Amino acid sequence: MNVTSEKVDTFKLSLLSFCVLVFGIFALMIVIYLTASVPIFQKEDIQIYTTNVWKAVEDNPDEEFYGVLAAIYGSVYTSVLAVLVALPLSIGFAVFVIDYAPQKIREPLIVATDIMAGLPTIIYGVWGAFVLVPVLRDYVMRPLYEHFSFIPLFSFEPAGGYSFLAAGVLLGIMVTPFASSIIREAYRMVPFTYREAAFSLGATRYEATKILLGYIKPAIVAGILLAFGRAVGETVAVSLVVGNAFNIHPSLFAPGYTISSLIANQFGNAFIYGYMVSALFAAGFFLFVIGLAVNVGGLIILRRYAHAQRG
Amino acid sequence: MLREVKEKLFLCGIATMTALTVLPLFHIIYSVAVEGLPVLLRGGLEFLSGTLAPPGDGLGGIGPAILGTFILTALASLIGLPIAVMTGVYAAEYPESILGRLTRTLLTIMMEFPTILVGLFVMQILVIPMGSYSAIAGALALAIVMMPYVAVYTEEAFRNIPFTYREAAFGLGLTRFKVVFRVLAGMAKKGIVTGMLIGMAKVAGETAPLLFTAGGANRIYFAGVDKPVGAIPLLIYNLVQQPYENYHEIAWGSSLVLLLIFLAIFLPLRLSLKEVKL
Amino acid sequence: MTAIETVNLTIHYGQKCVIKNVNLKIPENVVFAIMGPSGCGKSTLLRSFNRLLELNPNAKVEGDVRLYGRSVYDMNPIEVRRKIGMVFQLPNPFPHMSVFDNVALGLKLNSLVKSKEELREIVEWALKKAALWDEMKDRVREPASALSGGQQQRLCIARALAMKPEVLLMDEPTANLDPVATEKIEDLIYELKEDYTIIIVTHSPSQAARVSDYVAFLYLGELVEVGKTERVFEKPENGLTERYLTGRIG
Repeated sequence: MNVTSEKVDTFKLSLLSFCVLVFGIFALMIVIYLTASVPIFQKEDIQIYTTNVWKAVEDNPDEEFYGVLAAIYGSVYTSVLAVLVALPLSIGFAVFVIDYAPQKIREPLIVATDIMAGLPTIIYGVWGAFVLVPVLRDYVMRPLYEHFSFIPLFSFEPAGGYSFLAAGVLLGIMVTPFASSIIREAYRMVPFTYREAAFSLGATRYEATKILLGYIKPAIVAGILLAFGRAVGETVAVSLVVGNAFNIHPSLFAPGYTISSLIANQFGNAFIYGYMVSALFAAGFFLFVIGLAVNVGGLIILRRYAHAQRG
Repeated sequence: MLREVKEKLFLCGIATMTALTVLPLFHIIYSVAVEGLPVLLRGGLEFLSGTLAPPGDGLGGIGPAILGTFILTALASLIGLPIAVMTGVYAAEYPESILGRLTRTLLTIMMEFPTILVGLFVMQILVIPMGSYSAIAGALALAIVMMPYVAVYTEEAFRNIPFTYREAAFGLGLTRFKVVFRVLAGMAKKGIVTGMLIGMAKVAGETAPLLFTAGGANRIYFAGVDKPVGAIPLLIYNLVQQPYENYHEIAWGSSLVLLLIFLAIFLPLRLSLKEVKL
Repeated sequence: MTAIETVNLTIHYGQKCVIKNVNLKIPENVVFAIMGPSGCGKSTLLRSFNRLLELNPNAKVEGDVRLYGRSVYDMNPIEVRRKIGMVFQLPNPFPHMSVFDNVALGLKLNSLVKSKEELREIVEWALKKAALWDEMKDRVREPASALSGGQQQRLCIARALAMKPEVLLMDEPTANLDPVATEKIEDLIYELKEDYTIIIVTHSPSQAARVSDYVAFLYLGELVEVGKTERVFEKPENGLTERYLTGRIG
């Protein structure tokens, strides 16, 4: 709306150019990823994503062959684990903080999760590598392996402890504050009349909570999706605890790769090979797409839910 | 009877969930303090100002990394803040326009974007043509990470100004530029500054965007914006992966330094607000 | 002389018609009240005079509004708003600025004064005109948010007067004030009409009766009746007007 009737709205134009710049950067990112992935697509087609191979050969580009299936598997595996950890924790936290916590500890609890959400991830990584991994290895993995290794989930012999499990648990700890802030907000905004209705039917607090949680289900789904998106994009914390091994194995105790840790780990020496850089960009592009799909999905669900609330 | 038992179990359950959610934070702070403090005390002031010790032998210091973090954060702010604020203002002033709505959506998406992909991108467009890692590349990567936060906070700050002030300012016969930047900006100032500080606190702790851009520097303090530069998160990441015991100690000490820097910016900020977006 | 004239003024918000074919001639140096029940377009009408309506992208204006004979749509909206000042229903001095800076703002940003001395003179003059100088003269550097509601509204009047407008618009200026503050403002309006044309929108017929020389009755966007206040109140020509004045509608 041109409220000042100038011939050309210079105000709008000058601001607009900044917006265009931001879009431009994003578009350029997509272009760069696509063009850098072209060589490996030309060489291997879809196999870059469907095979688990990492044949790096110096001086003979034709012999090189890369398949990042292990990394894709690891990304999905660890992020699903993370979400499994985050789901009960974040819902429990949200309900406790809003319905039960006395005012004095409510605010500190929320501040604590905000700190966790912003904490530099490398600190999580250091703690994960030096503290969490040994504890998981000695008190969870070894005992479970000793007694239950016939179950595929527990079947890999834990060595150092760097594993899908360690990564999944660490990621779960990291994304819980984020998921809980979304769920918490939605739970808080449930119109009071629904709470009243639930209690007036004689429900116990537990039963009423179940009803209200059902009411905010879309928000929970969105929170989980967005948490998954966060987990899948996390790099340094994961790469310090996941083991960095090309491994497609059902066991929680096996070491593996995620797409982001693969990139972080392999990029240092990728330049001496002919196709590795392109392979890593292709892996990055895949991560780009998953990340985008999950985050957009989560955001759409959240927005629709918020709209329905207001309407 | 059964209902009452369920009720009690439920309460125990969610209390446990709550404890499990925040317990790691306390354990992390505890571990970093317990492992890092002795290192800092042994290293003394030299730890903060000196250069890195050789493998397996002593502590030296992480001076270049600390300096690097400040330089990178400052440069990233220089690049990112103006763009972010302007974008936020546009989204706030033209919320009905297609570009305005798309921008808001894009910013929300970019907030969740894997930061390693940003680093890879900047590497491709800046580091490779330039032929070397550089501070400017690292700063650009951090700027891209920082921008969505600042823009979203800016937009909210402007949107929260009651319409009546906008009417009053226009009613005095001011151009839109003056209304927004000379009158409304004063009222949005708190929100904008909050966004800036949150953005800066966040990027000071980021590692992935720096992996292939800044390069890292352990013995040289600052060689120029087109040369590699260190950063505390980057240093920690490299040290943890090495087998030397003294490097692990330095990693803990550095983690304590980073934690303190982060809390020093974040805690006062967070306590002065009602809520944050992260 | 006619200060403000509307010619077949029709205003739509999207599909909805809020002002239907209003023709008004407002003489200069009077207090002209526009009264009517809430939601019937009074505030919209007022905002069409100083083109503040354009802040709403859905508003569509047909017809004309003339300031001393000249169509406001032939003028730059900025110029229009400098000549027509406005005071709003909720007192809205800029809270982060001092009393002085609030009054000075229009002058400073429009580069209307050449020296600090001149600025101070005009600010003092405006505060005196708004009956605020005596209370504020030692407190001009205080933030505007520290003032009471009534003082804030007088500050807004000073802010508008500093621009030396030709016409002053007031959108229910006392709706949010207590009776004492209301009385002070009504007295102020009476004094100001010597130098300004004041158009005041009010939802209270008794206020219209107290302060105005002329009154227009607007109902559901249509101009039902207009004329000298005494006449309209004593002998309303339109049945609708009578029902409004006797409290049967509104």
